[in-house]
Amino acid sequence: MTTKLYFTAALLVLFSVGAIAENVDLVTLPARDGVQLTIYNSEDLTLVKEIRYITLKNGNNRLQFSWANTLIDPTSVEFRPLEHADEIEVADTTFPGQKPQHLIWNIVSKYEGQVKVEVTYFTSGITWHMDYVSEVNTDETSMKFRGYVRVFNNSGEEYENAEVRLIVGTINLVEKIADLARRYGIPMPAEGEAQYKDLKAQAAREAYSKAEKLAEAPAHAGVPAAEKAIVKEGISEYFMFTVGGTETIQNGWSKRMLAVKADDVNFDIVYRMRAHQYGPQPVRFFIWKNDSEHKLGESPLPDGLVRIFRDNGQDGLSFLGQQVINYVPVKADIEVNLGQDDLVFYETWKMDEKRLNFHFNWSGNKEYVDGWDEEQKWVDTIHNYRAKPIVFELQRVWTGDVEYHSDTETTLFDFHTIQAKLTVEPRSKAEYAATIVTHNGDNAKQNRIKLK
Amino acid sequence: MKPHTVAKGLVLAFLGLAFIGAQPATARIKLATLPERERVEIQLDNGQYTLVEEERIVPLLKSTPEGGNNMIDFSWSNTSIDKDSIQFRPIAIKEGDNFREIKKVKAGENGPEVDEVNVINVSYPPNENALVWEVYANEACSAKIRVSYLISNLTRTFSYRALADKDETKLILRNYIELHNYSGEGFGVAGVFAGFKDKFMKTVGQEEDIKILYHRFDEVPIEKTFTFDWYANGPLNADKPFASRILMHYRLINDEKNNMGVFPLQPGKVRIFIEDGHGGEAFLGEDMTSLVPLDKDMKLYLGEARDIVCTRTIDSSERHNVRGNLCDQEIVIKYEIENFRNKPSTLRIVEQLNRLAQEYFGNTHGDVEWEQGAKTSPEFKITYEQGGAYPILHVDLPPRPENKDEKVEKKVFYFHVTIKNLWQ
Repeated sequence: MTTKLYFTAALLVLFSVGAIAENVDLVTLPARDGVQLTIYNSEDLTLVKEIRYITLKNGNNRLQFSWANTLIDPTSVEFRPLEHADEIEVADTTFPGQKPQHLIWNIVSKYEGQVKVEVTYFTSGITWHMDYVSEVNTDETSMKFRGYVRVFNNSGEEYENAEVRLIVGTINLVEKIADLARRYGIPMPAEGEAQYKDLKAQAAREAYSKAEKLAEAPAHAGVPAAEKAIVKEGISEYFMFTVGGTETIQNGWSKRMLAVKADDVNFDIVYRMRAHQYGPQPVRFFIWKNDSEHKLGESPLPDGLVRIFRDNGQDGLSFLGQQVINYVPVKADIEVNLGQDDLVFYETWKMDEKRLNFHFNWSGNKEYVDGWDEEQKWVDTIHNYRAKPIVFELQRVWTGDVEYHSDTETTLFDFHTIQAKLTVEPRSKAEYAATIVTHNGDNAKQNRIKLK
Repeated sequence: MKPHTVAKGLVLAFLGLAFIGAQPATARIKLATLPERERVEIQLDNGQYTLVEEERIVPLLKSTPEGGNNMIDFSWSNTSIDKDSIQFRPIAIKEGDNFREIKKVKAGENGPEVDEVNVINVSYPPNENALVWEVYANEACSAKIRVSYLISNLTRTFSYRALADKDETKLILRNYIELHNYSGEGFGVAGVFAGFKDKFMKTVGQEEDIKILYHRFDEVPIEKTFTFDWYANGPLNADKPFASRILMHYRLINDEKNNMGVFPLQPGKVRIFIEDGHGGEAFLGEDMTSLVPLDKDMKLYLGEARDIVCTRTIDSSERHNVRGNLCDQEIVIKYEIENFRNKPSTLRIVEQLNRLAQEYFGNTHGDVEWEQGAKTSPEFKITYEQGGAYPILHVDLPPRPENKDEKVEKKVFYFHVTIKNLWQ
């Protein structure tokens, strides 16, 4: 048997708990009838919901639940009857000292017969992440865009035919733990304390409870999947991806599934020259939006590595580059930096320097320079050797008290950074000239750029 | 690769139909049938990452409720594949002797419209260099699939061989691409794409270094330059403290007008030879070139010129007060030049005016403001390659006299410059 979780129902005739102090006798071993994993990545926390059928006797029943070599949080294990709930009550839960990784529920039942029950608990070791693959056409005008979820199971437990749900977004559990602590009138426990764990489990359970209303994804029992649909739905501040049907993810394995699919996605190419951010040469960006115009926008795109390939026109692909993107909300931009391009070249030279507006101060019987201006003429040249025009965005930082003039339209990105946008025609070059006057020494009154 | 060579290299195994998710965690079946590679391509156009694409014909069985989908196992050992980069793409279906595009079909009577061959998921077993694709097939068929992955230790470098004619007016530049395959995998005959030209076929074996002629540029005009840069190279020796090394370069321009301009030249080692006039070649030296964009020049360092001598002295240096401690520094630089070559030559003299001002004045408070004076020799043509504070003075020199009794004339030139608005 692959699973390490054992669920044992011991039907008791004796009412005394003490009378069965050692091992609980095995009566039935109900298999899982269904299992659902809700994986919340940012906290390494997964809510496991198991459905089982057990047979209860009228009176006291003892159920044993054990979890050897798994990462289950024992404080989080809960039992809930899904049928005859008014007649079935968990009287107490015991964690036997001599049998670690076990618990025993004392269940008082007024109903006799088979009952559908739900066991939920939190486990760690199940994680997921996204990655994306983009294949752009030879002309670099549109792309096929794919997003994949990859689920990793290192929990120590094997989950067969599980419904998999993935929570997208960062739930601030610490804040919710603090809320709970306030609600209970207790001081905020330190991380690692048992009370912190209890509150964390409760906070996560409350967060997940908002997702419960999501309709069950249709399972295709007995039919081989022709395509896995991943249903995406917004719940409160989070998004939930539900993998269609069920998946078996064995312990130690990971599984990668298609989650986002969009064809003919148009995108823009922009070259950005920001020496302070990207170094001395411009870098090429592919930019598109997570919206319906770009055949996307069904859900936010979780953090993940984007790999970009190009149809090289010779019945093959070229690898253009890769970059990790952060969470992209719906309608937000997706920007991937592909690095430098050998076919677009930038150079900047200071062509002239003049000093003027000297200010003097007396020291003893001599005058000394204590303020002056410098007028510099700079010429930036952008060479475009590509066969189509490019959009070139220039940002440049100037420190000190600066007056700035260019005949090319220029705006301020911030107080000490100018920005300008140019289009450079195919196989040609464009020049961006600017005159910069810096006030130095006693002439410096500000620390900012003033556009003239 | 033969089916039994499982221990090393890449293995693509078709496991036939299997129940979805029923792979045992250990002792997985590795091999049923092994489709041979039909085609391999190595994409070297990205300097950082090498992409390998291989095509195989995979027999697929019809997906059924009883049998589930097809499970295709891909494993490798001793091969530096980036596991997370592996992609599996069905691209065509065999129909008779030909292949056709994959069509959309209905999956079942009321099912969604899907590709008739479709990858459902990929499973990665623990502690193994392997993965298993679950593939849906609407009907039994042979599908052409393309597996692509990024691989390490399969790299490329570029090198060049320049052969100048005896007159040093033009050269032949051969551009080589060198493949270094230490990836642990042999690829047999593979298409190689390096970015700018058509792909070419080459046998790429394990632990092989292969040098391939990528492009040959013929009749490339060259300019032989002689450069004197006092602040870059300093005094020649103790006996000639005012002379400095004169560096020789071949200058080529990477544009169509100069029979180049096909693609940016990648960084690499250049070995330079010259025709010796007797049907042989002489080795002139080697240099490393950085990226040469289109329209930009490539300078190949040839060594020091011993037949042009230039001494540089400061003929005058005077300070003129402007106001208070503000002053100008007027400097006249004198160059005495002898050309012992039997050819006319042009000497490029680089002056670094910031360094000049620091040497003869002190703190310059940033880049200097300067103006040229009237005593500058009219023979100088002045250009700028690195901005206004780096003038390059070009002067033409006659060849040495043909008459053996006639001495080489020492030519004298001046560069008169005033560094303005300095203070201490």
